[in-house]
Amino acid sequence: MKKEDTVKLVSAEGFEFVVDKKAAMVSHTIRNMLTSPGSFAETQHGEVTFPEISTPILEKICQYFYWSLQFASGKETEFHIEPEITLELMMAANYLHT
Amino acid sequence: MEKGKGLVDLCIEAATACSESVDIWRRQRRTLERLPFQLADDLFRRLHSRRLLSPSILEIFQFCVNEVDLRGESCVDAEWMVYLSAFRYLHSLNIADCKNVNNFALWHLSGTYSFDGVLTQLEHLDLWGSEISNVGAATFEKFPMLRILNIAWTKVTRMPILSIACLNMSNCTIHSIVDGDNTATATLSKLIVTGAAFIDADQVLSILQLDCLKFLDISCSNIGSFNFLVNLRNLEHLNLRYSQITDGLMEQVASAGEKLRYLNLSNTKITSHALSVLVGCVPNLENISLSHTLVDDTSLLYISMASSLQLVDLSNTRIRGFVDSGRENSDKMLSLSALQNLTNLKSLNLEDTKVMDEALQPLSLLTELECLYLKSDFLTEISLHAIASLQKLRFLGFRGAVLTDYGLLSYRPPPLLCVFDLRGCWLLSANAISSFCKKYQQVQVRHAHVNNPFEDEIVSYGTSASFITTKVPMSRPRTVKSSNTSFVDERMKYSTEELLQLESSTGFSFMLKDLDLLPEILRK
Repeated sequence: MKKEDTVKLVSAEGFEFVVDKKAAMVSHTIRNMLTSPGSFAETQHGEVTFPEISTPILEKICQYFYWSLQFASGKETEFHIEPEITLELMMAANYLHT
Repeated sequence: MEKGKGLVDLCIEAATACSESVDIWRRQRRTLERLPFQLADDLFRRLHSRRLLSPSILEIFQFCVNEVDLRGESCVDAEWMVYLSAFRYLHSLNIADCKNVNNFALWHLSGTYSFDGVLTQLEHLDLWGSEISNVGAATFEKFPMLRILNIAWTKVTRMPILSIACLNMSNCTIHSIVDGDNTATATLSKLIVTGAAFIDADQVLSILQLDCLKFLDISCSNIGSFNFLVNLRNLEHLNLRYSQITDGLMEQVASAGEKLRYLNLSNTKITSHALSVLVGCVPNLENISLSHTLVDDTSLLYISMASSLQLVDLSNTRIRGFVDSGRENSDKMLSLSALQNLTNLKSLNLEDTKVMDEALQPLSLLTELECLYLKSDFLTEISLHAIASLQKLRFLGFRGAVLTDYGLLSYRPPPLLCVFDLRGCWLLSANAISSFCKKYQQVQVRHAHVNNPFEDEIVSYGTSASFITTKVPMSRPRTVKSSNTSFVDERMKYSTEELLQLESSTGFSFMLKDLDLLPEILRK
């Protein structure tokens, strides 16, 4: 995979998740960061840090990105969310507009 | 799972899947306190609709919820109020129609029994139909930010001093709206007392300081004297429907007319004379309803002088469309031609009046008209073609008319027409309507022969059949679609009389949701 096709998402603890740009763009917030010309440093480096989002939550979000793409292409599976993380995940999803 | 559901929705769904899930996340107090209001409100609403709310769950939401709507819940009682009284950021609380919300419960809500008086942010309180009286009403003073209060259908007869903006005391018996200090009502901009029984209306209302009052609904009330209207200089909306207003009392209405934009006089005893009193006093009037009154064609002259009018409802009146000029054998004067002075007129309702074809000719001059409602046994296609020049029409009602297939098919609807209401035009055949629909697909036709999209789920319709064919009990419309897979022409089941009854029942296929209105034979 070419580097320009991916984006690096960094959690509060500094864990890095490298995902397809296409997947990350499921989030409107990330899409805006990556596509608005010049206004974000993220656009150049292809790296976004989320100091408010913990590693397990960010991991779940990355899973959701891929699940969402699959779902849109017709593979309708269930996206399981453990009750323990619903609140945190809800807030992160709200922030990311996803 | 629905397509395109966002992660937030999925999370709310997971969180409210069952009470076990709730038990797991409810311990995360810190996280809950950080939850944005909009998310907390959504989560709270979903818990309520999944019937997972209980007093102990309420507690965990006390720092994150803005809006609570528990209307109609019989389980909501004083215990719930104790917890709700701790909702620090609560703006809006709807506990209408909760039969266990009484004075006692309200005292708990107001924090009277707790040390830290709370609900300081509460702006909107809806107690419609609950079991409260003046004792409970005394607690309203504990809510300093209260602006919108609904206590309709309660036993409250007098209000404590309050500075609120909107008050609904419909169907209450009203002794006084404020006790003592009358300047307290200076902030009131909207007052709804429909169906209220005043002990002494003029006394109650004329002592109020109502400089800000813009919206007044006294429909169906027992008010018999309207002197208080003289003080309402800023009134924009006045509803006198089913009130005791008469021609002789119209002076008072006129005195409040300067800024009036909406006036509803329907279902009263007024005649055309009442309009002559209003002339010149309502320069800003945009919307007038005279439906079900005794007004006749002479009123049209007065109406036409209120040049700001956009919407005129003259349905069920004595309008005939012409006035006798007094001389015998002379031409009748077409009274509707006066309306062409109303250059802003967008909507005209002449349903169930006595107008005939020739009287409707002047309507062709009302070129700004967007909505026209006609319903009469006297009308024929002549009228339909007379109004063909109204190019801005979006809604055309032509109900109960003697309209033939040929008449319909030779009519060219204006380009913007969205709805063509032909209910009760009993001469039309299904074929004619279906070819009209095919030709003008942008027009939604309403007629018993048409299967409208909005009742798709209820009505099954065979193209060759003239009637809705279903054997399934109509009282459970949802089952119709699933169980009625075969289309059977049941016309043979009914006698000609019954079929005619079906035909003439006004738009029975459009009102299936109002099942009580269905003709007997369809309710089998």
